[in-house]
Amino acid sequence: MQPFIDQLIQEGYFSALPRDLAYAGFIVLVAFAVLSFFVAPLAGITSWLERRVWGRMQSRVGPNRVGPQGILQWLADGIKNLLKEDIIPTAADKWLFALAPYIVFVGFLAAFVVIPFGGKLIVADLNIGILYLLAVTSLVVVGILMAGWSSNNKWSLLGGMRSAAQIISYEIPAGLAVLTIVLVAGTMSMQGIIQAQGWAPWDWLLFYNPFTFIAFFLYFTAALAEGNRTPFDIPEAESELVAGYVTEYSGMRFLFFFFAEWGNLYVIGAVAATLFLGGWQIPPIPALADYPVVKGILQFIVFFLKAYLWVFVAMWVRGTLPRVRVDQLMSLCWKYMVPLSFLCLLGTAAWMVLWPQGNRVASVAMFLLGSAIAVLFFKRVNYQIRHARPVLYLKPYI
Amino acid sequence: MKAITEYIGNIIETVTTIFEGMAITFSHLVRRPVTVQYPDKIDKRVQDTLPRRYRGILEVDMDICTGCLACERVCPITCITIGIEMNKETKQRAFSHFDIDICKCMYCGLCAEVCPTGSIRHSQEFEGACYNPAGLVRHFVTEPAPLYKPKKGGETDPKMITKVETGQGYLDEFATPEKSGGGAAEEG
Amino acid sequence: MLMSANIPAESEVFHTEDMIISMGPQHPSTHGVLRFIVRTDGEVMREAIPDVGYLHRSIEKIGEKVTWHGFVPYTDRADYLAAMFANQGFCMAAERLGGIEVTRRGEFCRVIACELNRIASHLIAVGTFGQDIGAVTPFLHALRERETINDLMEEICGARLTYNYIRIGGVGYDITSETCDRITAFLDHFEPIVDEYNRLISYNKIFVERLVHVAPITKEDAFQYNIVGPNLRACGVKWDIRRDIPYSVYPELDFDIPVGTGEKGALGDCYDRYMMRIREMEESCKIVRQCLKMLPPGPAISKVARKFKPPAGEAYVRVESSRGDMGFYVVSDGSEYPYRVRIRTGSFTAMSLVSKLSQGLMVADLIALIASLDVDAPEIDR
Repeated sequence: MQPFIDQLIQEGYFSALPRDLAYAGFIVLVAFAVLSFFVAPLAGITSWLERRVWGRMQSRVGPNRVGPQGILQWLADGIKNLLKEDIIPTAADKWLFALAPYIVFVGFLAAFVVIPFGGKLIVADLNIGILYLLAVTSLVVVGILMAGWSSNNKWSLLGGMRSAAQIISYEIPAGLAVLTIVLVAGTMSMQGIIQAQGWAPWDWLLFYNPFTFIAFFLYFTAALAEGNRTPFDIPEAESELVAGYVTEYSGMRFLFFFFAEWGNLYVIGAVAATLFLGGWQIPPIPALADYPVVKGILQFIVFFLKAYLWVFVAMWVRGTLPRVRVDQLMSLCWKYMVPLSFLCLLGTAAWMVLWPQGNRVASVAMFLLGSAIAVLFFKRVNYQIRHARPVLYLKPYI
Repeated sequence: MKAITEYIGNIIETVTTIFEGMAITFSHLVRRPVTVQYPDKIDKRVQDTLPRRYRGILEVDMDICTGCLACERVCPITCITIGIEMNKETKQRAFSHFDIDICKCMYCGLCAEVCPTGSIRHSQEFEGACYNPAGLVRHFVTEPAPLYKPKKGGETDPKMITKVETGQGYLDEFATPEKSGGGAAEEG
Repeated sequence: MLMSANIPAESEVFHTEDMIISMGPQHPSTHGVLRFIVRTDGEVMREAIPDVGYLHRSIEKIGEKVTWHGFVPYTDRADYLAAMFANQGFCMAAERLGGIEVTRRGEFCRVIACELNRIASHLIAVGTFGQDIGAVTPFLHALRERETINDLMEEICGARLTYNYIRIGGVGYDITSETCDRITAFLDHFEPIVDEYNRLISYNKIFVERLVHVAPITKEDAFQYNIVGPNLRACGVKWDIRRDIPYSVYPELDFDIPVGTGEKGALGDCYDRYMMRIREMEESCKIVRQCLKMLPPGPAISKVARKFKPPAGEAYVRVESSRGDMGFYVVSDGSEYPYRVRIRTGSFTAMSLVSKLSQGLMVADLIALIASLDVDAPEIDR
């Protein structure tokens, strides 16, 4: 990028500006482009997927009118919200009220810098990749507390405080589960962790040993809690606090919070895919050795699908489970998840002392166990479909 | 020791019940949804699929209305207003107005039950939305209309026979002390 | 804070740290237009005072202005989720005053319609309960089943919510044999659905943990505050108007009265009240099946004058509605308009207990408590 800008300046463009300002201007332009053309559609498609999946789970169809199969519904919602009146309550703190959505947004957007979409498709392969990600996603706490406080509304305040307690507590099991993986991979850089795994399922870190298997579920649950998703969506509990910390927001500011939530879902899925599922690794096909572009595209697709699998599971969980209460949430974190994650960490450390190069047999055994659970699951689904009668519809001719 | 078994029991119970719940929602994902995508993605008009007894918006067949005012008296919410005037020259009585305010109507069916000829009845219509409140008052008489006199020994005018029979058919839907219903389901 | 002489005595118990929040009339989960004034210090409540009256439509006053037959549609609106029971209560009171005997077929049709309505009402109760706790899927599954019941009601009497089906002297429309077949098909379809619903949410660990040991009602409290219906049965008291003060053809039918046993927590807590409704739905299915088999031929309504003028007197009739026993106290002065109609509903007394039970609960538990009492705003305010 920098040589390109140097060349432009030599050719006479931007000659009046100081060089650093030109660089900064370009960075802002690139950030804007990425934001509008990649992140916004990503969050939008996630919202569409959520609504369709939710709808089908509830025996109804989700939005399917705007665009083919309703895929442009998010665009219609976005445009509608942009055109709405901007209401700021009179007694609210104007500056904090306006600033809060952006901080929440920054918290999740900055995480996109280290997500490895492909072998070479990563914005910055920091050597503290995963630590950076954990740190940056904690910024949302600040935003949520600001939103809750500045709304000058007791319900919002309650929601903001609950959320702060929740996110800060669940950092610990998430961090410890991630630390387990870092122990095994030996590096914190995202590309490094992917390269420590192979393309085949039994080479994934998910099945490396029983402790990483448990660590995965701990990470996933803790990440759901960080993202304010059901069963931990107490801060925005619709039926208790009207809408929690977003009660006083309307229009585009309101949508920003949800934008950040759906985008955060994707980040959770991407991190789960990177750390546990082998990232963008594809089987080595000799025919593709000469076509790096095609290989890159295939890697991107594989990564996308793996990340979206976990996004789908998060939506599925949201449709199934009720909410936990605040004190039960805290007891779940401190009494159950923190001890278990410590157990995973120590267990993995002990495993690595015993088998420094990894235990292939144990990995294959864990993979078979995982497949057995999946098969059992689908048998149960089959039982449900057979056991409950087909939908009784008294007017089938409509 | 008891605390440890309780701890592990809690974890196992949570995991199994969540597993079961997720299997149920996944099974719903692959079943057909029950949504009727009204009004554009359906085969038949919904109004045609409604049962005979459906109490939709009221309609009046003025040709067989006798002007007995039974419906106006029995309506619990006074949504029916009927005006009958005596024409001084011809000494004939005629309707001047017959208005039903469908936003006051409770759709209870009492007026349809007491009508002797079945001229006021509930149709299958339910789409009554309009852009101004004046449209919610249905006027069934635009110019003075004569009252209907039921003939003894049955109706002979061929144009009126179908109307009279339709009205009577509608009245037969209601339960009466003389009518005897069928037996239990096996005999029916 | 300025302390002047006209601050009422409540300030002695009013700490400066407490928040007073209004869970206002517009709230997604207060089952209608209810308001609670909640005094809380963060999460734990000191008290939640209910404020009712937002849905008052003066139905009882209207009863003095319309005729006896004309008041029956108004009783539908007294509790629109359990409209058949209100119809039946008023009609039974009028029949008692006028000395009218209902035909046998009419009685069976009444029981079929009422029990189907009980299933529909309980479906809404458990569905909205799940939604208030956070699980949105069971709500839609429950409503899907209720749609089929609405379709059946549409076939029987022409309306889906405000039926005006049970009239003085019998029922307004007869049940045809095709409808009987459809009701049987629905019942065959419905019983496994209750089972699936249980597996989805009733036994879910998170749901159970939210509800056990939350606001148990003791027997003494229940009697003192006059709680009725499934709330009372959840405390262990086996009281059901259909068994203890029988009316209509219930003495000839064979059904159980489910009673709370504190299976997963305290006796009479929210989980017991929830399970009561699930069990009652299963019992109602049994009752409807028996009635369909025993349906006798004959007229569905007996002869009643168009201008119904019962002799002067008063009558008090209780029916077991889905929210408890609904009492109709009707006074007649011999004219064709009632002199006084008074409706006593179970939700009104349940609201009075909220103030006592809510002390020491968390805000999230208040929602669970209101949902478990299955209060219904139109029933409270009439």
